[in-house]
Amino acid sequence: MSPGTKFVTRRILGMIPTLAIISVIVFVIIQLPPGDIVTSTLDQMQASGLDMSDDRVQNLRAQYNLDDPLPVQYLRWISGFLTGDMGYSFLFARPVNELVWERLGYTLLISVCALIFTWALALPMGIYSAARQYSAGDYTFTLIGLLGLATPNFLIALLLMYAGYEWFGLSFGGLFSPQYLDAPWSWARVGDLLQHLWIPVVVVGTSGMAITMRLMRANLLDELNKPYVTTARAKGVPPLKLILKYPVRIAINPFISTIGLLLPALISGEAIVAVVLNLPTTGPLLLRSLISQDMYLAGSLIMLLSILTVIGMLLSDLLLAWLDPRIRYE
Amino acid sequence: MTRPRELVLLLLSIIFTTVHAGEQTPSQAWPQAWFEPPQTASEAGITKFSESPFFSDKGLPPVHQRLPQDPLVSTPIGTLGTYGGAARISNLDNRTFYNVEPLITISADHKSLLPNLAEKWHYSPDGLRLSITLRAGTRWSDGVLLSSDDFVFMLNDLMLNPDYMPVTPSLLQGVKIKKLDNLNFEVHFERPNPLFGNIIAQFPEFFVAPKHHYKNFHPRYRPQQEIDELMSDLGFINWTTFIQANLQLRADTSVDAPTLRAFLIKKMTPTVVRYERNPYYFKIGPHGRQLPYIDEIHAELISDTEVEVAKAATGQLDFAGYSMPTDDIPLLKLGERTGDIQVKIWRRLHGSDLVLQPNYNHADPALATLYWDRRFRIALSVALNRDEMNQIIYFGRGQPRQVTVIPTSDYFEPEFASAYTDHDPALANKLLDEIGLHDIDGDGLREYPDGSQLTITAEYIDFETPKQISMELVASYWRQVGVDLRLKLVDRGLQWQRAPTGEMQMTVWHADRTTDILFPVQPDWWVPRTIGWSMSMWNQWTRWYLTDGRLGTKPPTEIAQLHQWAETLRTTLDRTERIRAGKAILRSSAENVWSIGTIGLAPHPIVVSNRLKGVPDNGIWGWDTRWTLPYHPETWYFSE
Repeated sequence: MSPGTKFVTRRILGMIPTLAIISVIVFVIIQLPPGDIVTSTLDQMQASGLDMSDDRVQNLRAQYNLDDPLPVQYLRWISGFLTGDMGYSFLFARPVNELVWERLGYTLLISVCALIFTWALALPMGIYSAARQYSAGDYTFTLIGLLGLATPNFLIALLLMYAGYEWFGLSFGGLFSPQYLDAPWSWARVGDLLQHLWIPVVVVGTSGMAITMRLMRANLLDELNKPYVTTARAKGVPPLKLILKYPVRIAINPFISTIGLLLPALISGEAIVAVVLNLPTTGPLLLRSLISQDMYLAGSLIMLLSILTVIGMLLSDLLLAWLDPRIRYE
Repeated sequence: MTRPRELVLLLLSIIFTTVHAGEQTPSQAWPQAWFEPPQTASEAGITKFSESPFFSDKGLPPVHQRLPQDPLVSTPIGTLGTYGGAARISNLDNRTFYNVEPLITISADHKSLLPNLAEKWHYSPDGLRLSITLRAGTRWSDGVLLSSDDFVFMLNDLMLNPDYMPVTPSLLQGVKIKKLDNLNFEVHFERPNPLFGNIIAQFPEFFVAPKHHYKNFHPRYRPQQEIDELMSDLGFINWTTFIQANLQLRADTSVDAPTLRAFLIKKMTPTVVRYERNPYYFKIGPHGRQLPYIDEIHAELISDTEVEVAKAATGQLDFAGYSMPTDDIPLLKLGERTGDIQVKIWRRLHGSDLVLQPNYNHADPALATLYWDRRFRIALSVALNRDEMNQIIYFGRGQPRQVTVIPTSDYFEPEFASAYTDHDPALANKLLDEIGLHDIDGDGLREYPDGSQLTITAEYIDFETPKQISMELVASYWRQVGVDLRLKLVDRGLQWQRAPTGEMQMTVWHADRTTDILFPVQPDWWVPRTIGWSMSMWNQWTRWYLTDGRLGTKPPTEIAQLHQWAETLRTTLDRTERIRAGKAILRSSAENVWSIGTIGLAPHPIVVSNRLKGVPDNGIWGWDTRWTLPYHPETWYFSE
């Protein structure tokens, strides 16, 4: 076995106990707060004139299979999860699988676009800020980036929605105008999507901008003072080519190693923004399921997040090793 | 520099002129048919029926075959509607913009009952039997005839079947249903139940389901094994959750499910629900046009109230009512200036937006004894500056009130609302001194006579009415007379767990069931009859009452008397005696201040796009009347 294969195998085997422990913790934590899905649906029933004495509520729990001991419930859930059946959402009265899959596409679309948006703007801005440290441009970019970081996302979302409505006549929230909401796919519908997509992309993107930019700037500043840069410059390498070819390649490493953390953010990221913008993504699903203690939905979503995190960390390690030949499998 | 101030003044003047204007215009002439039994087609001399062009090429039977033999005429406000259009609403308004269709419906004076699915009904003289006759030829949205079987199925196979409904609703206890023929059935009671019609009108979900559809999913009509297989194919854990979710229109299998309502679901996605007009809807307009006038509804699933308010204010919704908050009236009114919307100020039927509930059965005997002292409750009530609350929270448009019924109710007396509502801190201080609560340690707050600390913690959830801001004011008023109120905003789940156990020193909800429809059948704000997350002031006495003394503690005479009056109210066949009993309950509440009210009949904004016609300028908004049931939303229409 090559060192690479051995490394990957060991890491994958290590994931199994990690995920098993996570699954137990997730399931227990969801059950910790007072009440359960029955109590959060009971309030509606009470309004319609039901007298709730405790023994009857117990019967209702039985109907939902919620009166089994916790370990039995856990085993039922996890054995289903392993075979690809994530259980039943009491809140939405539908299988969790359907709920997650119908939202995953838009979630990935928005997250990937936001990531590209962030990197496409923040990395060049960071490089420029480092190369021209303390210049007017450096201060301007820093100001913009920090404003994005400091303003709450939902506020930017509300402001952009209003701007979109006022200037472009876009409907509030959602990814489509009302007439395209459930229309079959067509070029017009794609156009409509693109018209609406920029708002969530900008909102989600700006929050990560400042960090990316400042990180890039700091990493690059460390590199720029090193002797190999001075040598290259003395030998007459053109400045732009020099920066991009050597110091930037090294300065970008920390970003590669955090790609792993981006994967879970794709699912849970920006739940509040998605609620405000009324996006058909998984964030609001997770939020609602946690509030109403819809345990299979919440548990399965958090489990998915955990799996993605673990896989993501592995991927970024591999990517880093591939990108930077100095890194060895140990 | 004066610009911001000018802007504020402008804003204020807009708010107050428009709110006032809305009050002063004489109310539109509401059709007589909203108050008395409406005519049928034959009574109105209508012989020709027409349908929306929406159905022209759908291959349906002609419209007169889809309507009942003698359909009900539903009368709009003002001019008659025209067909067409797709309404944009938030899905939260799917029970207000187009309403449920009960057997018997509620009149616009919120007192009497009018025919709807039922052509007629009558009680036996002993009040033990209610006979109901259905309107012949009424059909479900798939064309199947409505029959007595659908009512028998709902009650016997679902609501009264412990497999389906482990908790029998108290309103249905002791109820039996008997089919006579396809159009006639009887409801039998163990004890006289002369107000059961109110329950039929207000809780239509209890009474009817399309048997021909749901019997395919019910183990009494099909082998259990087949149903289990079907359920796992459809992705449900069992048949009960399937039928529940479908009847509540929550499942994606609700698409095309048979309904009697004006619209049926055609499509559901994570962000939108699409409805289309019901081809077999059973009512017509005065010109013989089958209702509704509107063809389609696009209901967005909006999860954030702020966003819904913003959408409503900018004219992106045709109707918004359910989640419009009182404190956003100024913002919504600003939206009127663009010319796209109109904000109609209705009144909530809540007798009080806050019911402050002292927990008489609290485990701390010192606190329970103090609560039981009438002088203490009066002191707490007169310490409140309700006029100031009204100005700060409701722009002066609410009414300072105790917890009681609405003024148009047969059970109302003005002093029930006004008892101990005048702001009188001097009286409050005097009463508190009399009780022996003095500030012993000099911190400005009163202690128990033995010097131990007196604090009251109120736990509540902030939902539906402006509870948090109100409670902050209440706390400040009580501190002014030396009573230390601590506020604790809690989560729903916690509230649900703590309320029934009676651990909370005080909790808060709002008082609905204040009309003649629900007050006489559920006087639960005034009599210990319900334990639940919104009511936690006398749980032990409630348990005693519900279990005939098996559980709980024996209530004091005053409270036992309330229970007797409530029995009379619900079961007596004599109207005078009924009203006497109801007033006795409310008088006891006014004199004893069992719970403390703040501001009631508060303004509630209804946002209506300028193209939507037929929505009344004012009305009563709330649970008792299912928000819009007396106002005939099926007659609302678009005029471009």
